[in-house]
Amino acid sequence: MLTSLIKFTKSDLARYPFLKESAEYVKSLDIKVEDLQSPEFSRVLERARERVEEAILYTLVSRKLKHEEIEILSFPVAIMLTVATGNNFIKERYALAEAKQAYLDMKVESKEKIMAIAGNFSWRIWLASEAPYTFKIHFSDCLRNTVHLRDKKWKLVNRLMAGGTVYLTRSETARLLSEEVRRHIKRRLEASEVPKLPQFITDVAQKLSMLTVEKIGKSELEGMPKTVKVEAFPPCVSALYEAASTGRHISHIGRFTLTSFLVNIGMPIDAIIDLFRNSSDFNERLTRYQVEHIAGERGSRTKYNPPKCELLKTHGVCTNPNGVCAKINHPLAYYLRRGTAAKTGQRATNNKMLN
Amino acid sequence: MRSRIICKLFQEYYSKDFHIENAPKQMDKREFGFILFSEGVMVRHKRFKRLDELKAFMRENVPSDAYYSCAYYEDPEAEMDKKGWVGADLIFDIDADHIPTNCDRVHDEWTCISCGFEGKGIVPKNCPICGCEKFDVKTWPCEKCLESAKAETVKLLNFLINDFGFLEDEIQLFFSGNRGYHVHVVSEAIKELDSSARKEIVDYICGIGLDVSFHAPVVKKHEKGVEVGRGMRFSCFGWPQRLWSGAQTFLEEANENYLREIGLKLDVIDTIVKNRAALLRGLREHGGLPLIRGVGAGTWKRILEHIVNLQSAKIDTVVTTDTHRLIRLPNTLNGKTGFKKVELPISKIDEFDPFKEAIAFRDGSIKVKVVSAPAFRVGDETFGPYKNGIIELPTAAALLLLCRERAEAVE
Ligand code: SF4
Ligand SMILES: [Zn+2]
Ligand SMILES: [Zn+2]
Repeated sequence: MLTSLIKFTKSDLARYPFLKESAEYVKSLDIKVEDLQSPEFSRVLERARERVEEAILYTLVSRKLKHEEIEILSFPVAIMLTVATGNNFIKERYALAEAKQAYLDMKVESKEKIMAIAGNFSWRIWLASEAPYTFKIHFSDCLRNTVHLRDKKWKLVNRLMAGGTVYLTRSETARLLSEEVRRHIKRRLEASEVPKLPQFITDVAQKLSMLTVEKIGKSELEGMPKTVKVEAFPPCVSALYEAASTGRHISHIGRFTLTSFLVNIGMPIDAIIDLFRNSSDFNERLTRYQVEHIAGERGSRTKYNPPKCELLKTHGVCTNPNGVCAKINHPLAYYLRRGTAAKTGQRATNNKMLN
Repeated sequence: MRSRIICKLFQEYYSKDFHIENAPKQMDKREFGFILFSEGVMVRHKRFKRLDELKAFMRENVPSDAYYSCAYYEDPEAEMDKKGWVGADLIFDIDADHIPTNCDRVHDEWTCISCGFEGKGIVPKNCPICGCEKFDVKTWPCEKCLESAKAETVKLLNFLINDFGFLEDEIQLFFSGNRGYHVHVVSEAIKELDSSARKEIVDYICGIGLDVSFHAPVVKKHEKGVEVGRGMRFSCFGWPQRLWSGAQTFLEEANENYLREIGLKLDVIDTIVKNRAALLRGLREHGGLPLIRGVGAGTWKRILEHIVNLQSAKIDTVVTTDTHRLIRLPNTLNGKTGFKKVELPISKIDEFDPFKEAIAFRDGSIKVKVVSAPAFRVGDETFGPYKNGIIELPTAAALLLLCRERAEAVE
């Protein structure tokens, strides 16, 4: 393995402030949160605010490399501000924006440096001599970062793989690394409960939250259609729904898909249980238990999402996908599209639809 | 309630002959589960810190089937959501149930639970009479079926070793004791992969979602020379290699019948047969798919999809993606056959004989009343077919019929 011994320069740390070395550098300065209020650090706080603002407005974070020190220090402060907003949208956006910018930088970075950054995330990476590829990385490092990507070129089965390594071009490597960066920052934003922060920090955070509501509006946070719209179900769920109402046997994964789907679009739990009543082996207690579990009202208290289309395809639940299916990768996304596209004016009664 | 004699034999096995050299790694982090003769239901969430505790449990409780989790937990005894998942082995199950063979019509029977309609061979999705999806299934651990399961296992091992780069000592290979093979990969590299990452591994091995344009570019001839299209040239490993060598074998061997079977039109078949040599040459020289009049990209796509199907391994997709799965414990008896789940070295898979190596009882005989059974072999002896008769059989053979509910003991 070629984990290179290259040293990051201060300008590297400013461009890639998420590196371990950057964090160590910041730590060595031993600055307290309160210090940020002093005039000496006012530019750091201002730059941190700006980082988050740029993320919200443009989904990118500019690089201001003239003042390396401020650039490095403002990153952990920006993380703190983002945590302080307590707003999931801002957290997602900030992680994404930093990652996107990192991608642009890494795309033109030297091979050695790319390997060093990859090593920072404990990737196993080697140089590849087979054109058009520049690197090969261990398939598990690849999978961690590709499973959320939609383009079929990222499916493992469409990659060249040998001896446990996946071949990548330079820009593909930068792309996957940036995905790693995004996940890394998200983890930092989600880690630990919010510490007690001084007033001047929460004030800035509050302004950022307000900016978000203004600029982004509520549209992106808008939810599902208000009533259950059977006609907006994707083909897979329609088939399962039909099978359940006529009491036919449904596979385990099919049952899970149907239940979690209905829970997520807001069908009442009792209505879901009723749906399974026609099954020959219906057991009210067990069904209630399962439905409530999936709805997150028991046990782990997490509401389960239905599986993605890809998984449903693997397990044969995806039946007769149609044109809308081609544009989505999740049954709920199908419902969202069809549910909001269909005329929302006429309200069918719940009874009729649940039938 | 299972026949008393099965339970007695299992008890004998667990008090004398039960050894596990290949006990699950870090067994104190695993959940164990058992089906007990006395209760017939799964007893789960068990934990054993040491091997002798497990052995004592087996001796005292005599399960008909014993399982352990592919997962490692902080607290294996807790309820499912509180166990604290820390990782899991990567498990593959290759079962004859998922592989169509031409003998399943002979030995497999199914009965629709709601209307009683009976049939033979692979179980249909819906009952042809009433549409119901639940069946009572009687399968058989048949030699031919097991041979095809073995062939799939060989393909799987090839993926694991060559493509995924697992070392042979990270891979454990087992005969399940019934209708197939299990492969366990125990490696830090995959331990923490979640279900969606495991699904990508499954899709790779099954060729699901494979788009041939990523692996096999087309080659166009002009007056000026040749041009290899989008995608990379076939290379000497991974899926491109499988497609390339598959395409060559295909062209060498395909006769008209075969070409018709994969759904090619008559004029296309005619062109392929007439230009066989030229196509082969193009394939070898340019490392891409040669296009000629009558054999275009569409035809190649058809052919390669057929090759993907031949080269992929037919694994059970649900087992591998389930990171909490319980799997049969090595060296325990399979309640459906009375055979052991046994480990075999990868290098010995070709000559491995499941009906010899998996026998748990080598002495004695039992008198049984057989309802019906196809011809079968245990060790070097062949038996049957039987239909309604009383016969004395060597213990292992009798036990197989008893476990399969094809016979009853005669006291
Ligand atoms: S593509 Fe997705 S939504 Fe459409 S039928 Fe298949 S699984 Fe359902
Ligand atoms: Zn029927
Ligand atoms: Zn068979």
